[in-house]
Amino acid sequence: MVSQEELIREARENGMELLPLDKDTYELFFGPQHMATENYSLILKLDGHRVVKAIANPGFLHRGFEKLAELRPWYTNIALLLRVCVPEPDVPEAIYSMAVDELMGWEVPERAQWIRTVVLEMARVTSYLFWTMGLSFKLGVYTAGQWAAAYRERFMALFEQLTGARVYHIYTIPGGVRRDIPGDKWLRQLKDTVEYVKNKLPDFDNILFENYITYNRLEGIGVMDKKFALAEGVTGPNLRAAGVKADVRRLDPYLLYPELDFEIPVLKEGDSLARALVRRFEIEQDLYILEQLLEMGPPDGPYKVEDPRLKALPRFKVPAGDAYAHVEATTGDFGAYVVSDGGNKPYRVQIRGPSISHGIRVIEQLLVGARIADVPVILMTLGNCPPDIDR
Amino acid sequence: MTLEKEENILRQILEKAPYAEGKVRRARRIEFRIPAERIREFLTLLKESNFETMMQITAVDWIKDGEIELVYQMWSYTHAVHAFVKTRIPREVEKAKVPSVKDIYPVAETYERDAHEFYKVYFEGNEKLEMPWILEDEDREAGVCHRKDFDMLNYVKRKYKILDRFEEDKEDYVI
Repeated sequence: MVSQEELIREARENGMELLPLDKDTYELFFGPQHMATENYSLILKLDGHRVVKAIANPGFLHRGFEKLAELRPWYTNIALLLRVCVPEPDVPEAIYSMAVDELMGWEVPERAQWIRTVVLEMARVTSYLFWTMGLSFKLGVYTAGQWAAAYRERFMALFEQLTGARVYHIYTIPGGVRRDIPGDKWLRQLKDTVEYVKNKLPDFDNILFENYITYNRLEGIGVMDKKFALAEGVTGPNLRAAGVKADVRRLDPYLLYPELDFEIPVLKEGDSLARALVRRFEIEQDLYILEQLLEMGPPDGPYKVEDPRLKALPRFKVPAGDAYAHVEATTGDFGAYVVSDGGNKPYRVQIRGPSISHGIRVIEQLLVGARIADVPVILMTLGNCPPDIDR
Repeated sequence: MTLEKEENILRQILEKAPYAEGKVRRARRIEFRIPAERIREFLTLLKESNFETMMQITAVDWIKDGEIELVYQMWSYTHAVHAFVKTRIPREVEKAKVPSVKDIYPVAETYERDAHEFYKVYFEGNEKLEMPWILEDEDREAGVCHRKDFDMLNYVKRKYKILDRFEEDKEDYVI
């Protein structure tokens, strides 16, 4: 039998960094293969089942998208950057395209703007349903999770008809969208799906959001106050759950959002329950926005700009300059900063994922004092998407 | 569209910071250029002017000019304005230094670690820079992987030992 000291000494010799151990505490490597962390790694120092110290270690995915983007032509980067955050791949497409549109000086046609708005809202609903699935699985309420997956599948089928792909759409491109909507039948199907999912939301309330287990597990866990959230750069639903009424769709309007009517749900508590409920209210608002857009109907006209430069895609050049575009994603404020030196490849692309603010410093502070069973719940209600950090 | 709001904010900040140059780029976007040594002073001023949150710090390697440009991107919920704060520092690793702003905006610590790891910009006063972060030790030692003069293709070939394998018909694989 090898003693613990020997094991630690051996690990140190092999270059592994361990926290200094004393008698009462022990160390746990939580992730990256743990189901609850979603390829995100946490090093927890535990006293019994209480977390004494947490260190976030994001370098597991290790993909270097930003460097790769500098080596590829402008258009092919869409197929790369959308892989930043899987549950909502339309957001990186949209921000990159919006930044390139600004550099090119293009005014995107109305029909393309309508389609982009519909796609972004569909992506929000699918992402929230995916999140509902994750939360319910982590709480042990498996039924709600399976429903959410099934309803998400309906939207996936619509995405497949629209773009030809279920998950990675590669649909929003600089200057508009890649192809037109399939026709009136698709619009009718989308309308039916929106109505169907809307009618099913009370079931989620009964089984998950108003469930006594959920309240017991989420209330008062991982509390984040307004001042702390603002100082740490937390955005999106997490900030709204802490009492700040902030939404990029209203503050920095893009696409058709100035014409649409929707509410911004705000709660004051800042705990895990508030973050979960804000997301629950937002599903309803997103479905309401989709209803309005369908009632408005797609405007006539072209679905992308008519520009001769679009005909030679590999030699497509973008004027020198820099632009920043951001949209409201389900995880928070998602932005892209694009620099061009006038060539056929971007000079620098930086994706600003929302998780980079709440996924490192905030988690390290929120987890202190939490029970080990609460760690997955806190990670889930923050909407942590590890690829945002490790781009 | 009128840009009155943006011009007012710009004027108020420039009055207090005569060393800065600024312009309104478009609605809800303003830009400043400042010398690197006054970054702490200027960001303190921005925080007092209701720019509550830092969105990110971007390092851009302008290899032709021999400089690295740091873009501090600030967002104000009060004004709904995004501010680019640009500053340039020399490209040499020994001289690429700038004071840390993590006590003014705590979230800056993460972005400073990012810029340090990938662009070798040293932020004086941020003690977390020496800690391992995204890159593995081997890659950190190899150098500055996101800078423009780093030959990533050769590095990857050497690291995964694929250079020898393609040695015979190397010319076919030149990209």
